[in-house]
Amino acid sequence: MKRFRSMTYPYVVWIGIMIVIPMLLIMLYAFTVDGNDVSSFQFSFENFRRFVTDTVFMEVLGRSLYIAVITTVICVLLGYPVAYLIAQLPSQSNMLMILLITMPTWINMLVRTYAWMGILQDNGVLNTILGFFGIGPAHMLHTSFAVILGMVYNFIPFMILQIHTSLDKMDKNLLNAAADLGASKVQTFLRVTLPLSLPGVISGITLVFLPAVSSFFIPKLLGGGQYVLVGNIIETQFLTAGDWNFGSAISLIMALIIMFSMWLTNKVDVQPATSGKE
Amino acid sequence: MKKQGLTSKIVLGLTLLFFYLPILYIIVFSFNSTRSLTSFGGFSLRWYEKMFSDSAMMEAVFYTVIIAVIATAVSTVVGTITAIGLSKSKKVVQQIVEGVNQLPVMNPDIVTAISLLIFFSAIAVKKGFFTMLLAHIMFCIPYVMLSVTPKLRSLDPNLIDAAMDLGATPFQALVKVIVPQIRPGIISGALIAFTMSFDDFIISYFVTGNGVQNISILVYTMSKRVNPSINALSTLMILLITFVLGVVNLVPILQARRGRKEGVTPMSRRSKAMIGAAVIVVGIVAVVVGMSFSGDRKKEDAIAKYGSDTMKLYITGEYLGEDVISNFEKQFGVDVIVEYFDSNEMMYTKLQAGDAYDVVIPSDYMIERLMQLDMLQPLDHSRLPNLENLSPAVQNLSFDPDNSYSVPYFWGSVGIVYNHENVDPKDVEEQGYGVLLNTDYAGQLYVYDSERDSFMMAFKNLGYSMNSDDPAEIQAAYEWLLQMNATMEPAYVTDEVIDGMINGYKDIAVVYSGDATVILDENEEMSFWMPMEGTNIWYDCMVVPKNAENPLLAHEFINYMLTYEAAYDNSEYVGYTSPHVEVEAEMSTSEDLYADNPAYMPRTGYEKDEVFTFNEAQKKALSELWIKVKAH
Repeated sequence: MKRFRSMTYPYVVWIGIMIVIPMLLIMLYAFTVDGNDVSSFQFSFENFRRFVTDTVFMEVLGRSLYIAVITTVICVLLGYPVAYLIAQLPSQSNMLMILLITMPTWINMLVRTYAWMGILQDNGVLNTILGFFGIGPAHMLHTSFAVILGMVYNFIPFMILQIHTSLDKMDKNLLNAAADLGASKVQTFLRVTLPLSLPGVISGITLVFLPAVSSFFIPKLLGGGQYVLVGNIIETQFLTAGDWNFGSAISLIMALIIMFSMWLTNKVDVQPATSGKE
Repeated sequence: MKKQGLTSKIVLGLTLLFFYLPILYIIVFSFNSTRSLTSFGGFSLRWYEKMFSDSAMMEAVFYTVIIAVIATAVSTVVGTITAIGLSKSKKVVQQIVEGVNQLPVMNPDIVTAISLLIFFSAIAVKKGFFTMLLAHIMFCIPYVMLSVTPKLRSLDPNLIDAAMDLGATPFQALVKVIVPQIRPGIISGALIAFTMSFDDFIISYFVTGNGVQNISILVYTMSKRVNPSINALSTLMILLITFVLGVVNLVPILQARRGRKEGVTPMSRRSKAMIGAAVIVVGIVAVVVGMSFSGDRKKEDAIAKYGSDTMKLYITGEYLGEDVISNFEKQFGVDVIVEYFDSNEMMYTKLQAGDAYDVVIPSDYMIERLMQLDMLQPLDHSRLPNLENLSPAVQNLSFDPDNSYSVPYFWGSVGIVYNHENVDPKDVEEQGYGVLLNTDYAGQLYVYDSERDSFMMAFKNLGYSMNSDDPAEIQAAYEWLLQMNATMEPAYVTDEVIDGMINGYKDIAVVYSGDATVILDENEEMSFWMPMEGTNIWYDCMVVPKNAENPLLAHEFINYMLTYEAAYDNSEYVGYTSPHVEVEAEMSTSEDLYADNPAYMPRTGYEKDEVFTFNEAQKKALSELWIKVKAH
């Protein structure tokens, strides 16, 4: 058994060099002010004070979390049934569906987002289609709708894949057993399938929520420049304003918030599993 | 039962429709005969031709695929092994590793990118293929582990003991018992890793260098003007993937029909097909890219003359004439590596991180900043005889009057493009930038998403200097912008404005003169106006950074750009105003070119027009206020 443990050592060294050291450099920036010069080290909370005391930044933070939560909820609500239905299919078409869902993600994300821009334009493809039914033209580009749509489109495959994996691996005899013991379909789903697939849902949430909360490209293209999320502010600090210290501080704040929400999610994850054993 | 099957089919059908709508769109518009992304102008293969003749694009495909394949392979193996080892480790170790793993997953990409950029610069590695690969492996492994670990948790811990009790070595137990049990997790982990690597933009952008770029970087930097050949490339990729999937899924079925007796399991057939398909794909990519790499790379003459046969150029996207680079390469027997930046500030970040380029083309205020920081080399005028071709309009520039450090590349102004069918020309001419506060046109505005350009409009409309650092004036300009933001529903965009105005989506846009030239050229309903309250006159110039590796070749390039042919090619294709005296005259007088185009020739000698100067404090203040304007 112990022999397996040593398989971890190379990776521990690797993350020390490739993750920890670079992150320490970022922290160094967050707790210092004035320019990109590391030599004149002056410990300071100034960057954090600036962020917390400014209502605009707090509003943006709130908006980012809101959009990310909405996106994640939609991804779960839409992704779960799809993953469930796919898992019901015979293995051949099951595999095919999974490949069909993965395939679009291999087309560059920027290219796909540009495609949505063309589709959502006021005189774009979608409005033309709506026009046939006498609806519209609806103004869709540069709205919250477009941003959430873009995020759901880009991130939902991760949700479906994760949920599908846990459903697919589930022992199908459990369902028969439940049925034999007189459980209705709904009962079987709620008390057997759902709890067993929760780990997949949780890792799906992780894979959707995180990129959604920090995304800056999708809001920039589909929401227009007026659609500012935290990711955009961080990007601006590093690339336009050149204030790496402030940018690093915002990143740290965001990382803390995310860690907290993940900790919450994991707590939720544990509960149904224990209550299932009652 | 039947009814349920139907619902399932409908739901899955709709799901696929949602996933494939943009893909269909990409395919259809790759055959479009025009540049437009909303109206189909007719069937054409021009974007495919353009794609294959574009060696930068072919190289980008090569690097994207190679890096994704290697990063996926390495991270899947390492991630799986580590996850298994971790599941047998002490709780503390588990928590530490998992905690650290969360960092690249949870951090915004840009933070990971910056941290790696600082790190790679600190240890002075040459940025390029290797650094990009390391970074990709770094951010892929956690995803593999995230996907494998839940599988391991639901694994019966007694399985391994049982295997080893039955005489399996630990290695056998690993390969024959654990791995098959967690295979779905490994596969989905590998898929996610591949996707992440294949799609990555920000991290790649910051950790790469020396001309190595992937498709995302290429798309992002070429998006200055939407280039449908990227749709052509994507369509080919879709075809290729469909082909691979076809092979993977059909071959096992066909073989199963023929060889039921052979007793081969479907899984091994599938993996064989998978490997076969992967080999085919890598083969095709290698051949295609090999063709574009072909040709003798040793250029003895150039090395003897300049000390090197390659030069690195750093420039904004879509800012070069079509044949300028290839002609230069042919004439001087050298290779030019072109990299693109999105903004002056992005360029500055890269230069500060120690990336070496031979020629960079920033704007006036940024050149001033680079000069202040002593980051530029003085130019050797004896190597630049073509300086005499400079138009009087671009001589004696305030930031570098003697061209000691910079040579003009393009210049222009900022003005208002408006649709004269929907907007009263009188309103624009009388109100100038004030028209942006005229609620008759609410919802019809494009404004540049840039603090410099937007504050410029506000300052000018209020009658201040656009270089003002007076807090009261800055506050007034900020309120002006807040008013615009609150009452006019402006769309803050960057280069989409070109396509947007060509297609007539909005009626008023504030744009750079060169972009206005293109818009007016393609849409006759558009007019151009230079506000009487003054505007920004800007100059983009070629400079040689201090750390340039081939300053001799850099001088040769700068001199070449001042020849008639190069300047003509450049200005005709891009639409910006040439610094070459004869080209400028010809472009602005010839009927076939831009004689009728009021945007081509910027206004000169108007006292209210200004050039940006560099002021660190003002810049910081404006950029923070601009975020607040947008966030309101």
